[in-house]
Parts: sequence; C-alpha cells; structure tokens
Amino acid sequence: MSITVNVNGVEHQLDVDENTPLLWVLRDHLDLNGTKFGCGRGLCGACTVQIDGTPTRSCLTTVAAVSGRHVSTIESLVDQQPDLIEAWVDENVSQCGYCQSGQLMSAAALLATNAAPTDEDINVAMAGNICRCGTYSRIRKAIRRTAEARQ
Amino acid sequence: MNSVSLNNLSRRNFLVSSGVLVVGSYAYTSGFNPVYANGTRTLSPSVYVAIGTDGVVTVTCHRSEMGQGIKTAVAQVVCDELEADWEKVVVAQAEGDAKYGDQNTDGSRSIKNFFMPLRNAGAAAREMLVQAAADSWGVDASECEAREHTVHHAASSRRAAFGELADAASKLAVPESPTLKSRENWNHIGKSRIHVDAQDVATGKAAYGADVTLPNMAIAVMVHAPVLGSSPLNVKVPDSAKANSRFIGIETIDATPGPIGFNPVGSVAVIAEDTFTGIKVAEELEINWSDSPNQDFDSDTFQQDLREAVEAPGNVWHEVGDANNMLEGAEEKIEAVYETPFLSHAPMEPPSAVANVVGDAVEVLAPVQDPQTTRNTIVGAKNFALENVKVTPTLLGGAFGRKSKPDFVLEAVELSRRLKRPIRVQWQRENDLQYDYFHAPSVQRYEATLGENGMPTAWRQRTAFPSIMSTVAAPNMVEPANWELDMGFTNTPYRCENQSIEAAGLKAGVRIGWLRSVCNIFHAFGANVFIDELAEQAGMDPIDYRLAMWDGMDVIQGALPSEPGHEFKIERLRNVLRKVRENSDWDQKIADGHALGVAVHHSFLSYVATVLEVDRSDPNYKVTNAHVVLDCGTYVNSDTCIAQMEGAVVFGLSAAQRAKLTFKDGTIQENNFDGYLIARMPDAPSISVELIDSDHLPAGVGEPGVPPVAPALSNAIFKAGGGRRRSLPLI
Repeated sequence: MSITVNVNGVEHQLDVDENTPLLWVLRDHLDLNGTKFGCGRGLCGACTVQIDGTPTRSCLTTVAAVSGRHVSTIESLVDQQPDLIEAWVDENVSQCGYCQSGQLMSAAALLATNAAPTDEDINVAMAGNICRCGTYSRIRKAIRRTAEARQ
Repeated sequence: MNSVSLNNLSRRNFLVSSGVLVVGSYAYTSGFNPVYANGTRTLSPSVYVAIGTDGVVTVTCHRSEMGQGIKTAVAQVVCDELEADWEKVVVAQAEGDAKYGDQNTDGSRSIKNFFMPLRNAGAAAREMLVQAAADSWGVDASECEAREHTVHHAASSRRAAFGELADAASKLAVPESPTLKSRENWNHIGKSRIHVDAQDVATGKAAYGADVTLPNMAIAVMVHAPVLGSSPLNVKVPDSAKANSRFIGIETIDATPGPIGFNPVGSVAVIAEDTFTGIKVAEELEINWSDSPNQDFDSDTFQQDLREAVEAPGNVWHEVGDANNMLEGAEEKIEAVYETPFLSHAPMEPPSAVANVVGDAVEVLAPVQDPQTTRNTIVGAKNFALENVKVTPTLLGGAFGRKSKPDFVLEAVELSRRLKRPIRVQWQRENDLQYDYFHAPSVQRYEATLGENGMPTAWRQRTAFPSIMSTVAAPNMVEPANWELDMGFTNTPYRCENQSIEAAGLKAGVRIGWLRSVCNIFHAFGANVFIDELAEQAGMDPIDYRLAMWDGMDVIQGALPSEPGHEFKIERLRNVLRKVRENSDWDQKIADGHALGVAVHHSFLSYVATVLEVDRSDPNYKVTNAHVVLDCGTYVNSDTCIAQMEGAVVFGLSAAQRAKLTFKDGTIQENNFDGYLIARMPDAPSISVELIDSDHLPAGVGEPGVPPVAPALSNAIFKAGGGRRRSLPLI
C-alpha cells in the first residue's frame, strides 16, 4: 500500500508494507544509510532518529506510525545542530563510529529541550545508546561543550 | 539504490596516470605469533604512499579500521617522514593483497610491525622529491631541504612544491635505505590528531558493511542452526511468503564437516529484495534441523568440568623448587579459585558482507579484520583462483576480534554463486550472539604459602579453559597453547623460588575465538586478585606488596622467546604502577577510607596499571573514577592512545560488572542486549590517562588496557566491604 512519510523535510510516497520498521524504510527504500541496525529490539539505540523532535528507535517504529509526522535522521543534523557535530569531531569522540549516528540523535534531542543538562540528565538521555568501543566520557564532554558554547 | 564509493584508490589508479610518484617498501619484522600465522608473510615490495602532480598525498592503509584509529596513525607516520602538509593527505583503504605485507589487523600490532616500513616509505619519497628538485636546480641534494610539502634551496631561495616535483621524482630510483628523521624533529608522530573519518562518522556518511549496495543486489537474512553442527533437514515456507513479490526464495547451507575453522555453520538463507522482507519471512519459516554432537552442551556443566580440572595436576609449564610438597605439607596456605564466563564480542555492527560472483571471479566488500585471510579462505573453500578473488574492507562497525573470522563472508560468496547476482548477507543480533567465536570461560586455582616477611615461599597456579586451537586448528587440540598461556599465565611477573605453573584444556560445544585481550582477561583477573589477597594476608598495601615481590627482578621470561627489543621488563611494570599510585592519590585516599582497587598487567608488549574507585554507598559499587597509566613504548597518535585506554576501561567494565553468556542444549540463552549486559553511559566513570613518554619500540595499544579492569574492580569492591569476589561478572 502507499504511505507518505516526511523525512528531513522531504515528502516520500512509498509502496511498502505498513508494518515495515522505519529503520528499513530509511535504509532500504530511501538510501539514508546513516541510521544503523544494531539489535532490532530497541535495546541498543544505534537506529535512533527523531520523530517530531523526540528520540525514537526506528527499528521498533512502523512506517505507518510516522505517517503525517516529521522524521529527522542523522543526515539532517548538520543543518539542525552543526555545532554539536563540530563538538563531536573536535572531541574526537568516535572510535568505530557505528553507534554514533544514534548517539548524536539522542544528544541533539536532549540539547533541544535542555540547554544545560546535568550529568544525571545526560545519563538518563543517553542510557539507551550502547557504545561498545566505550566512548561515553567523550560523548559526555561533547554534549557539555556544545551546551556551554550555546550559553 | 545508489552504490557506495569506498574511496578505494588502488595503486593501479595512480600508475595509469603519468607523473605520479609511487614508492613504498615492506619488510616483515619477524616475531613468533602462531595464532595469526596465515601464510601471508612476504618480502614483496608494496605501496603505502603516492604523490600526485596536484600535490595530493595518498597514504594507503593496509590495516582494517575498526575504531582503533589506524588510518590516521598510518598517515601520521608517513606524513612525518615525508614532511607533508597534513591537510593535503588523504587515506585510502587497501584491498587484501600480499604485496602489502601482513594485513591481519589483530593482536595490537599494526604500528608495532609497520612503524619502520611506513617511515621508510615516507622518507624514500622525501629523498626522491629532494633529489628531483636538486637536479632541476643543478645543485647538490644535500643543500636542499623538504618541509611543509615543499623542497627548499636556502642558498638560492628557490623552492618547489611536492606536486611540481612528483613527475620528475617518479623517474628516479627508490632509495633502499633512506635517512630517517631524528626523534626530536618529529612533527606528526607522537602528536594528537583527529581521526580522518571523524567528520564522515558524525554526519552519517561513513560506510560500513551493510552500507554497501551493488546494482541488482539481493539481501540474504540468515537463520542459523540453533546448535553448532546442525544442518537444515527440511524447510517449510509459509504461503504468505510465497505471495510476497519481494521474497525471492530460500537457500540452505549445511554445516561444514571437519574442523570448524572459519567455515559457515548450518543455515537457511532467506533471499529477498529488501532486509525487512527477509526478516519477516525468516521468522515464519518452519525448519527441522539435524542432530548434532553439541546439542547437549551446557555452560553450567562445562564450568563445573573446568572447576574439576584445576583440582588435579595439569600439564606443567614451569616448575622450580618444591612447590607441590611444600603446599601439601603446609599447616597454613592461601587458596583461591577464580572464574570467568563465556563472553561475546558483540560489535555494534552485526556481521554483514557483500559478495558478487561473476563467472569464475568474486568481489567482496565486507567489514573484515584480515582481507588476505578472507581471500585465502574463499580460495580454499570455493575453488576460485587467488587472482580472481578481490576483498576490500569497508569500515568495521566494531570488531574486537570477531571480524577476523570470515564465516559470514563465505556465506555471501556461496549465495552469490548460487543466485548469480550480488548478495548482501545480513546477520541479526541473535545470529551474532549464537554464532560468535566466544571468549573462553576459565577457572584458575591459586595456592601459596607465605614466609615471615609476608612474601610467598611456595606457589602453585593452575588454569583451565577451552583453547582457541580446538576451534580454528583441529578439534583434538584441546590443550591451551603456549601463546595463550603467555597471555598472563606462563609469563606471570609473580615469581617464587618454589613454583609450579600448570594448565589444562577442555573442548567446548561452541566456537572459541580471540576477543580483545584474549586470555589476558582471565589471567590478569586471577593473578591481580590473588596478589591482593596475599597482600591482605600479609598486612601490606597491595602496591607495596607487588614492589616487594619485584625487588631485584629484571626480565620475565614466558613460555615463548621474547621478540628482540620487546623483553618483558619489570622496571617498566613497576614504573606504571608507581605512576598510577601518584595519579590516583592512592595513599591518601586509602588512608581516608576510599574504596580503591589496583591491577597492573603486561600484554601485547605494553604495560598498563589501572586504579578504579567505587562508590561504597552504592549497592552496585558504581565506578566513579578510573586512572590508567600506559607504557606502549613509542606512540604515534597520543589522543588515540588515550581514547583506547578510555574505551578499554568501559569494555573491561562490561566484562567485570554484568556480562555473561550461558548455553542450554547447545543454544545461547542471552541472545540480545537485554540478556547480554553491556556497559552504558551511567556506568562510565570519569577516566584519566597518562601516557609514558618512551623511546622504546612501539608496542600494542588497542588491547592492553582491558585486562587490569576486572581485577581492579574486584579489589575495589573488597575495599568497599563487598567481600572477596572471585567470579566474573562481579555485580
């Protein structure tokens, strides 16, 4: 069936099963490969996108559920929060980098609603995103650096 | 769908355009390293650097990038000797080819083995550029100097950019022994550099295995046998799948008979036009699997077998004095048993590989740690001619040893061969956790008697674990190998004049492989907690206790000969321990009642001391602070070394705190991240790292930070009043 989704400000008309997870629509149908597959069960956060600004695991979200809503992915973050990306690079956060799209989308959602997150705020907002390389301390630094620069 | 460009600039691309300077040389640095031996050692010359007439320097990185920052480090080394401008350097990923020398990105040895070949490549290119400039100006090369991507002749104030000189330089002979820069003139080696892929990662552009798409490619979602050794007998495809136009079909793969090696396991592949169609059909298949000798494998029973193994004498690897009789006759001795469970690599990127078989040739794009072994394995298993097999690594979304084993690539090759179209194999997390090459579980038993000064007078240590060799070499090779035992057991720095060191092996019903730091993880755990127990018994500080044990000691000899220039020196171990004592404010904090634990370990030719502090009021003993000191000899990217230590603390904490895998009836019980518990943001402590400035030879960085973490945590929990915890995970 035909479903309309708005991703990064662009409307797409798709002929897919309405139960298809948004993750696979992004990756296999829209060529937006920045969003990653990690666990398929919402446990690791690698597939995090924002839906109307809320960080959401795209592997558990059907494409039907986002019809009429605004989906943002890592590919649009450079337009939304370029300073956050710059902080990520300057802190040399990433190691293998695979989880970082999801980390960035969670961090961006946090900063959009909380201008000065505390350590505990960061713990809560980022606990759903696993980084097997263990870059957490640098993620924390990059979030703080961005928040401080915006003050 | 769009195809992905991998920026894989091959040597050929440069040679076909004229006026490009290409140099490079490779010399293998010998060293005994049997686990990784794969016949790829060669003295063939190869290419690490090319300079175009546009001045762009292309450094070809022949090692796989999995987060350890090797692409950046390789470029720094070449750039330094070349006197190139960092902004004009691009890094290309090499395909698997013996001309590059060893490409097995494993064992923390990319820089250790290639520091000199890469320096030579950069220096040779520099000398050729200088010579070309000197020739054009009619002056002697000794009057000219290369700096900042330009050759200068000070006497005449003439200068020429590298790009202008590339054509002429390319016609000169490659100097065999170029003069290397002296250490004090290094301007990239030892400095901090942002990783070359950092911007691509942060904008979602970095390409991993599953991001490769070829025209007409189909997806293969794998359903693997629930037990190692089983094959699919029959498969029922539901009618709903048959009606789905995006479902292509199923293919069965039988378990490979004989040694497990890197061969595919029994599976049913669901071939579909897209991943979700494959996943959905995979869930609906009804499959009957054949019986397997592993179908009764139970990890609890296996752990009990390991416990029993250390109750009896094992193979004796080291014996001095009369430890056995002294311990049997001792009125009082200290005795402890340490246990560790199965662990999985669980890289965030599950295995995925693209293969395209066309006629008698195949091209592979996949996240592999060793493209040459991958290539050779395809040749051996599928009867392709070597020259018809091309393997290029993508970025690796984490690996930690898992992606050294190309079983998932062989699946893609086989399926592409059958379907005559490009195939991308996709594993789900459940496949990854059932069919890892697992980190071995272990049991160690330590016994010692102490003299009046608190120092050990007799000492016996036994270890039991399933050897990697039983999986990758032959099923009957169950005894731990010398190189496994030299990971912290036979090369223990804790020596005693009456000492017996013994080992035993058992065969597991699942695949065993190497995981970041390998056997060092469990051997460092047993040794460092036992020392803490002895210090406690002797009424001494655990750091003082170690220093007293090492008094007068110089070099530790393990079961294997040391590599030249890489002897295990007690002085360097002592040094990192003293530094971490200072950095963690150990003495003051212990006096003030803080709960700190320490561990120190030598692995991958490097020395690491770690102090962890836990919150004693937290029932889960949250780690609040970590202090790490690393002596890895000469280092290249200082920030990468720090990052690797930070990551190692978190990786080590996963194993130390909660990670554990169990098997019932041959099947994994924790098949996703709700059961296999990995450290998350709230678990991450504040971490400080000191790098020792050293002119020793470069040694390992990626792995040696992990082993001290679990014992340091156990020792800190003891200080916090949590009791002596001798079994991982600790929480």
